[in-house]
Amino acid sequence: MAIVPRADVVIVGAGLAGLSAAIALAETGMKVQVLAKGHTATHWASGGMDIGATPGSETSRAGVERLASFDGHPYVLLGGFVERALAWLQATLEAEGLSYVGDLDSVLRPVPTALGGTRPAAILPAGQAPAARRWSADEQLVVCGIARFKDFWASAIAASLRRAQVWGVGEPPRVVDAVTVELPGLVGRHNLNALDIARRFDDASWRDAAIDAIARAVDRARSTGGGRVALPAVLGLEDHPAVMDALGRRLPLEPFEVPLVPPSVPGVRLYGALRAALRRRGGRILVGEPVLRVDVEGRRVTRVAAAAAVRENVYRTEALVLATGGIAGGGIVARPDGRLEEPVLGLPVEAPEADHWLATDPFDPAGHPLEAAGIRVDSELRPVGRVGETPLLENARIVGSLLAGQRYLRERCGDGVAIASGWRAAVTLAGTSRAVPDQVGSVAV
Amino acid sequence: MSIADLVREATVGDVAYSADECLKCNVCNTVCPVARVTDLFPGPKYVGPQAQRFRSGTALAPHGMGRTIKAPDQTVDYCSGCGICTTVCPAEVKIAEMNNRARAVMRAERRARFRDWLLGQTDLIGRLGVAFSPLANWTLRNRTVRWLIQHVIGIHRSAPLPAFARRTFRSRWSAQQSRRSQSGLPVDEPGPDRAVVYFHGCAANYYEPHVAAAAIRVLRRNGFETIVPPQVCCGLPLISNGLYGGARGRARTNLGVLAQYARRGYRIVGTSTSCTHTLKAEYREMLDLHDDDARVVAEATWDICEFLLDLHEDGRLDTRFGPLDEDLPYHAPCQLRGHGIGFPALDLFALVPGLRAMDLDHDCCGIAGTYGLKNEKYGIAMDVGQPLFKKVRAAGAARAACDSETCRWHIELATGTPVKHPVEILAAAYAAGETRPA
Repeated sequence: MAIVPRADVVIVGAGLAGLSAAIALAETGMKVQVLAKGHTATHWASGGMDIGATPGSETSRAGVERLASFDGHPYVLLGGFVERALAWLQATLEAEGLSYVGDLDSVLRPVPTALGGTRPAAILPAGQAPAARRWSADEQLVVCGIARFKDFWASAIAASLRRAQVWGVGEPPRVVDAVTVELPGLVGRHNLNALDIARRFDDASWRDAAIDAIARAVDRARSTGGGRVALPAVLGLEDHPAVMDALGRRLPLEPFEVPLVPPSVPGVRLYGALRAALRRRGGRILVGEPVLRVDVEGRRVTRVAAAAAVRENVYRTEALVLATGGIAGGGIVARPDGRLEEPVLGLPVEAPEADHWLATDPFDPAGHPLEAAGIRVDSELRPVGRVGETPLLENARIVGSLLAGQRYLRERCGDGVAIASGWRAAVTLAGTSRAVPDQVGSVAV
Repeated sequence: MSIADLVREATVGDVAYSADECLKCNVCNTVCPVARVTDLFPGPKYVGPQAQRFRSGTALAPHGMGRTIKAPDQTVDYCSGCGICTTVCPAEVKIAEMNNRARAVMRAERRARFRDWLLGQTDLIGRLGVAFSPLANWTLRNRTVRWLIQHVIGIHRSAPLPAFARRTFRSRWSAQQSRRSQSGLPVDEPGPDRAVVYFHGCAANYYEPHVAAAAIRVLRRNGFETIVPPQVCCGLPLISNGLYGGARGRARTNLGVLAQYARRGYRIVGTSTSCTHTLKAEYREMLDLHDDDARVVAEATWDICEFLLDLHEDGRLDTRFGPLDEDLPYHAPCQLRGHGIGFPALDLFALVPGLRAMDLDHDCCGIAGTYGLKNEKYGIAMDVGQPLFKKVRAAGAARAACDSETCRWHIELATGTPVKHPVEILAAAYAAGETRPA
């Protein structure tokens, strides 16, 4: 059996929660190993940070406060750490060239989606951020699609966005128009996906020609007065800031990106920045290694075994951070007999009885009963059987959407819980004498 | 047992049926190094799990190979087989394996191209090349000849074809062994605690006997003698070209010999990370060889760096490395990623004083075995490797390291930087330790 050199902490899962924990831990000089079954959370994500947007909340801060008052919500434990953790992560991403705009006090506004609806958002990557600014009464919104690109139908989106009810209580643009632009070299492609186009934008010479075409189309659609242009989130992968910069200079209206169905280019950018930040701090990450088994001695995790072509790849470790996701991410698996299992550590899952799994209304605004299923933890994010009991494992931490009591689709708290729990897990594992709490906390907030 | 359990048991882990697990999330398409650079390959999802629905399940089973439905999509031939899609898939769909089998079905539909057959005949080429090495090497360096080869056979004139060794590793080894016996040294095989079976593969045998020599020195330094049983090409070049029949023949020959050693407790150690991956995984996964021979050989096989790191974990690696004061850019080949063992070479390099190894962090150099040699794919292979080549050049180091031979040749030719097997670096570090005054 091969045993690779010891890690101080093994993190299982490479989504926002796992990578936040890994980066914060590596920052303290700990030897960090991330193991992931594959890419998921980040590659499907919009790139925006959903911290908390309960109905009626003006800001993410209000959302967090409201959720922290819900019995059993992760924010009961984590609400107080969200601000510092978010500021730390934003600074970390900024250093990797990925800028975010907005904080807990930014006003949540209806931001157009690629389906022609809106979603409340306040903290967005710089490329999406102009969408969250209030629309003044004379502003025009031009939705600009790309010919033959099937993930962003400009005319359908514009038709939907012309309906006032889509904007909820927010102020809609004065007028919404649609254009579709033919970009050079894309003629005749059968399967054109967001990544294909994003990579073309990385090429400076193609980019110039493409932006010329977009500028001409937008100019034709432009009416009097100012406004903004909604473009699909395909505006460069490696060189995104340069693409936005060029578009900003050349378009007559202010451009912003609208995130799309997977593969999400802003999500891939986010993963790239997180991975780079981790590696810069000496952390290691291996993708494609599903964890098969975790060895426990007493109440301590001692070894983590990942799948290999033959035998196992075993890591000796001092601690474990479990960031495998909820039901959607595979961190919780439902069995045909009505049991919910946490497959890595076999932890007890807090969930409704199988008889109560089915909601009569699939679109019930209260959300699906299973959404809140997850692992119950103590104040240091150690797994417990029930609230108030002794932790089942001393050196394990549960983070992200695996935490019980959140309904992240409805409450829009998934990213906030991920970042705050990842950061908090790092702080509790590093111990009070280590560098993380002060170092991380010293980031200006 | 419920019907669901029965179905699961019958299909789980099965390459063709793993398409059912596909969520259509496109994550595989985000990482495909080929789709990144060319429109000729639409991406692993489209030709893999998506096209799979139009392929007959039985057509992919070994007994159904002859009677197949027409493959829905010829672009699958542009898959380089690097396997990165399989490693990132969150649903554990065996995408690259599926594509490889689809290519085998296409090959079964009509006779293989001579070029693709030829690329699989590594032993034949190797034996002839070494026998006539001065002439063969001159020929392969001659631009007119290479132009002819490109136009007649379809191997690109700029593709990296390494020079043949003057003598095969096997013939050197047997000469050495007979000298040993003449001088009265024991030639009987030491037990599995004092010897390993060496799978040299074609690269070390015909092109890079110095890699084999370095491996043997490093193993001996750590108390392991080397046993070199009869062996043939592992068959991977045939598998990659969809020629499963020939590959099964090679596999049977190797398994017949190696299984006997494996059953006696010997570990099989290889210096070619793609050969060791074939022994570990592809005989079973791609060639459907599920007998006990295949199992014991797979379980006994180790990549050399994996083996050395394992010794180190047991406190048995001789760590008296001498200093190597150099920057060493390191490329982890795509085949190594398939092992699921991390990058053991980097952990070993960390034991060498003064050695500053740096992970170049690029998924695939582009060559993917024989893929980049082909006329129509050479340009793709160069484009896939371009970011890696830039990093190698920017490092400005005297040499680089990489576990896989075809990657080494490709990177070396593209960058002009000599690329070594990690075990050569370790052998050099041991040598540096010995030459130092005590």
